[in-house]
Amino acid sequence: MQTALRRAIMLILSGDRELIDILLVTGRMSISSSLLALLLGVPLGILLGAGRFRGRNALIVLNRTLMGIPPVVCGLLFYMLFSGVGPFRHMKLLFTVRIMVLAQVVLITPIVIGNMENYISEVADPIRETTAGLGVGWPHALLLLVRESLYTICSTYLLAFSRSIAEVGAVSMVGGAIAWKTNVMTTAIMQYTNRGDFTLGVALGLILMTLSLVVNSMVTLLQRRISR
Amino acid sequence: MKSKACSKTYQGRCVLDVGEMTWQPGRIYVLIGANGSGKSTFAKILAGVLTSDQKTPVLPREVSVGYLPQRPYAFRMSLEKNLSIAAKDPARAEELIGALLLTEIRDKGGKSLSGGETARMALARVLMRPFDLLILDEPSAAMDMESTKRAEEVIRSYRDRTGAAVLLVTHSIGQARRLGDEVLFFREGHLRERGDCAVHLAEPETAELRAFLDFYG
Repeated sequence: MQTALRRAIMLILSGDRELIDILLVTGRMSISSSLLALLLGVPLGILLGAGRFRGRNALIVLNRTLMGIPPVVCGLLFYMLFSGVGPFRHMKLLFTVRIMVLAQVVLITPIVIGNMENYISEVADPIRETTAGLGVGWPHALLLLVRESLYTICSTYLLAFSRSIAEVGAVSMVGGAIAWKTNVMTTAIMQYTNRGDFTLGVALGLILMTLSLVVNSMVTLLQRRISR
Repeated sequence: MKSKACSKTYQGRCVLDVGEMTWQPGRIYVLIGANGSGKSTFAKILAGVLTSDQKTPVLPREVSVGYLPQRPYAFRMSLEKNLSIAAKDPARAEELIGALLLTEIRDKGGKSLSGGETARMALARVLMRPFDLLILDEPSAAMDMESTKRAEEVIRSYRDRTGAAVLLVTHSIGQARRLGDEVLFFREGHLRERGDCAVHLAEPETAELRAFLDFYG
């Protein structure tokens, strides 16, 4: 274990090309999918949390169900849709980073929606009453609601990014974990561990933890600034 | 100005049923009654934040209404910015910050205000701009004696300055006596008694108000 750890640190410090490629693919996939999920999920979460329309409760239940969708089921669905016998085969997306991003967006967006809806439903009515009582028009009230949600948007992004970077089931199915193309940290750790090559696995594990720490710290700092 | 008759029913139970009412500019109306008597429901309907069974606004559109809810919301921003939500008037903000003893907490974020501080900030915020009708739902419930005294002074001076009609929902009979020109007594969703504060709080017409005053007053 100690040897593997020492060799892993040496590998990181030496700037191994394969390691760098895995990191770049992981970064591209995680950042794109978490940002896209945030862009889609935040407005929908606000709508579900603050809106008063028929079918709202049914949509909340549906979203909560989607939050628990197993990644492999999502991967399987995308595989069937985009493989050689699927209806979208002509798009030639299978085993690309783009389909990995798409699968991740489908997995993460309900989590973003749920997290936002949970917060917004608590503050929407007091904010609505307060702003109406001050004679503030709805566009300004909506802006205040969004501004008030910035803290939660930050923590929701953190959740989305963590989920994306740590996910393995869906991305291995639709991405195929192809070296120099679609291999991300989680799929690479699995591959190298299965081969008995613990060095790269440990190195990737260390980087994964460090990245998670860095992103967490950055978002926490941002949240502190917002709450001031 | 006149407000239309309105009612409110929750799950088949009528919690409010009041007739048309007249509101004179420059007068302070105090609304008293036990918990569940329909005071806050009426205040919300009048303010337009709750829809009545009739589904139409009870006040004409041209009447501007300010409303301070029972549990006001403090935004995650400084006290000064909270005040500027209603109107950007630094001189007025300074005046209210001083009058409501908010000077020491002016830089505090909304989320770090105590209950009493939030109540004072929220009162200052709704007093930032002139309204034709100002509705205050228990504005001093979370305040101590000194703050309540200050709050009553600023409410009175707001009325004098703007000529607004003020509807004050309160549980404090002492406050009703100090501030009110006219009293409205609600019981089980109905207006049971209305009239000059000094007269009706000293000599109630109905046995219900007398019993209420015997207990609280």
